[in-house]
Amino acid sequence: VAADGAIFDGLHVLELGAGAAGPVATRYFADHGATVVRVESARRPDFLRLIHLKPGDPHGLDGSHMFVLMNPNKKSVSIDLSKPEGIALVKRLVAWADVVSENFSPKAMAAWGLDYESLRAIRPDLVMVSSCLFGQTGPERMYPGFGGQGSALAGFNHLTGWPDRAGVGPHGTITDSLSPRYVALMICAALLHRRRTGEGQYIDVSQVETGVYSLSEAIVRCSATGEVMTRAGNRAENAAPHGIYPCRGEERWIAIAVSCDEEWRALARALRAGDLAAEPRFATHAQRLAHADALDAALAERTRGEEPFALMERLQAAGVEAGVVQTIQDLQRDPQLAHRGHFQTLRHSALGELRFEHYGIRCADGPPRLLTPGPNLGEHNREILCEVLGEEPATLDDLVARGVLA
Amino acid sequence: MLTGIRILDLSREPGFLAGKILGDLGADVIKLEPPGGDRAGRRGPYLGGGRPGDPERSLPWLALNTSKRGITLDLAAPRGRELFRALAARADVVLETAAPGELDALGIGHASLCEALPRLVWCALTPFGQTGPWARHRAGDLVSVALGGNAFLTGDPDRPPVRCTLPTAFLHAGPEAATGIAMALYARERSGRGQLVDVSMHETQLSTLVTGAGQPATGRPRARTGARLGRTREIWRALDGDVTFGLRGGPARIPNLIATVEYMAEHGMAPEWLRKYDWRAYNHNTVSDEEIARLEAAFGAFFATRSRRELYQRAIEHRIMLAPCNDARAVLEQPQLRFRELFTTLEYPELGASIEHPDFFAKASRCRVGIRRRAPRIGEHNAEVYGELGIGAAELARLSAQGVI
Repeated sequence: VAADGAIFDGLHVLELGAGAAGPVATRYFADHGATVVRVESARRPDFLRLIHLKPGDPHGLDGSHMFVLMNPNKKSVSIDLSKPEGIALVKRLVAWADVVSENFSPKAMAAWGLDYESLRAIRPDLVMVSSCLFGQTGPERMYPGFGGQGSALAGFNHLTGWPDRAGVGPHGTITDSLSPRYVALMICAALLHRRRTGEGQYIDVSQVETGVYSLSEAIVRCSATGEVMTRAGNRAENAAPHGIYPCRGEERWIAIAVSCDEEWRALARALRAGDLAAEPRFATHAQRLAHADALDAALAERTRGEEPFALMERLQAAGVEAGVVQTIQDLQRDPQLAHRGHFQTLRHSALGELRFEHYGIRCADGPPRLLTPGPNLGEHNREILCEVLGEEPATLDDLVARGVLA
Repeated sequence: MLTGIRILDLSREPGFLAGKILGDLGADVIKLEPPGGDRAGRRGPYLGGGRPGDPERSLPWLALNTSKRGITLDLAAPRGRELFRALAARADVVLETAAPGELDALGIGHASLCEALPRLVWCALTPFGQTGPWARHRAGDLVSVALGGNAFLTGDPDRPPVRCTLPTAFLHAGPEAATGIAMALYARERSGRGQLVDVSMHETQLSTLVTGAGQPATGRPRARTGARLGRTREIWRALDGDVTFGLRGGPARIPNLIATVEYMAEHGMAPEWLRKYDWRAYNHNTVSDEEIARLEAAFGAFFATRSRRELYQRAIEHRIMLAPCNDARAVLEQPQLRFRELFTTLEYPELGASIEHPDFFAKASRCRVGIRRRAPRIGEHNAEVYGELGIGAAELARLSAQGVI
């Protein structure tokens, strides 16, 4: 471990792929001291580099906020994988790498001769992980979906929304944010195995399967009793009230969850709603569940005039689970996130000062560090080729001239 | 993969998944509950046939506590705390979800034990983290998805924000905490020292916004868009349920739009203007509202005549980006998941049940990963685990009679 506690100091990670799911996973390593090198190319750019980009953007492939924010602490080499010389360069980087993480569709790596068996011949103790929508095997593996389809296939859409309306899925294509946590975990677990045994290995992760595993409860309930769970709005089986209620102002809401009679009485007191507490139909948990519609309506009348943050503090002080439905703007001035140092500003060459975010983990002796913004395409060609592969600068110019570095 | 790692799991529901993941990866996870079981933490529904509320029949418990051994211990009793210290001394990791400071008040928190047990990795998974202005606030799933920014953007524009009916805040926090633990174990391999891993469920939620909270925010907050994504419909009614399909353009998507129109034409449901449509000129960001309405009417009318299964089969064969909004039964029947043997059947003889669980999904070439045992019965492994501390049957009976175990 480095003097500053960086957990993955000295670890080398090579990343190939596009979109969100792959890059989010390798950031766990980049933020904790690993050298993470992205292999990408202008010939076939990562679609994240094109997102929300206006035609004629002066920064071109270096102008996407989303790409830059999602890939801090990483280095970029631009290698054209359609050229044999490009593939040869990647293979030399594999010899340097401890970990290769890729999230192309199945067959792509093998078509380039970059499948695990080929790479293992170069680096026998390599840890390699492939993650894609459906995994590397099976009849549906070439199905061309993104996270939005993953969320639907795994069952999240069906479970999110109002029972009388279409299931919408949690905002932000949930399998895209779930699966990277598992990919990072699998890499780390494989590195632990390698330290003990010296063995590397290959790991195949399906995003849809991370979603199904996450929803184990729904599967177990269905298998055990035949129950097919469906979306229930904000209702819960073990709490009432359990909902999101209006507050003062446009689109201001508060979430309140009450799981026992004691909390219900505390809620009524904090809302100065003695009459609600006295209503027999709301007296017990079972009765509140049975009269949930009336309960929600009555509660909404009491919250409607309240300032949401003041109400949250009042309810929390009374021992009631309550939280403002925060907007992006609220999060940017959230005092708890500020205390955690969640946001950190870094300057990007094209986009100026940007607000980067940390993940949810703080290792006390090895905290995460945000040092550089997401790299420009090919920004580290010279550094990686000369310092890692020991090439002469003249060779580099030649590779650029022949379009291998592109 | 984690063979030989012992984890003492004191967590309640927000941490069930973290312990399960580590157990499914091969760690020896010892689930610690109060004597009689954590009744409040074992919610319904309960497997039928028994009295309602029987904690041994809690299906959410059975789903999220696989690959763990189960013991009971009263941490409020001095002898219970003594036993806890002995268990912690033999563990590599403690995983807990107590309110910050609660365990240290009993003399068994990280601050109390870390000096005596320098190799111990201690993972505290809490709603907000160990310190800060909201550290003592309470939050379950609903409050967490509200404060974390996801709820505001989830749901229909004409109704309140909404959550997923299963607790996604816990589903994100589980693998986040498990990753933090694996990272600290890796650090220990190199330094010889354990450390505190402080995981905040609130902070973990923000990555669901996919850098949204970092982007410059100006003007009015973004609105919920319900079944639409931006300007175009994303969720469509099929004959027997919903499907997702993006009416969005761009080079990556044009072939799938053309393939869909061909499919519609085969069934006589693509009008001539649609068969001749110039998708290269189509831009879902700039096209007029009337044009979107005309397209949506044509596609929607077609989808409504076909089953989810038929639409999806065609999508697979012709690379159309359409997917069914599966319910649990459809997930259990999905051929791809069956092919990859995602599900495993566990036997519960005392409940007269055998139940299919999603197994740990990742395929690792050198290590067997996957569910190793069903969730434990209450105190099922007391004799085994306390036996390892040198506590014999007689003393175990005495501790049990005293209510310590």
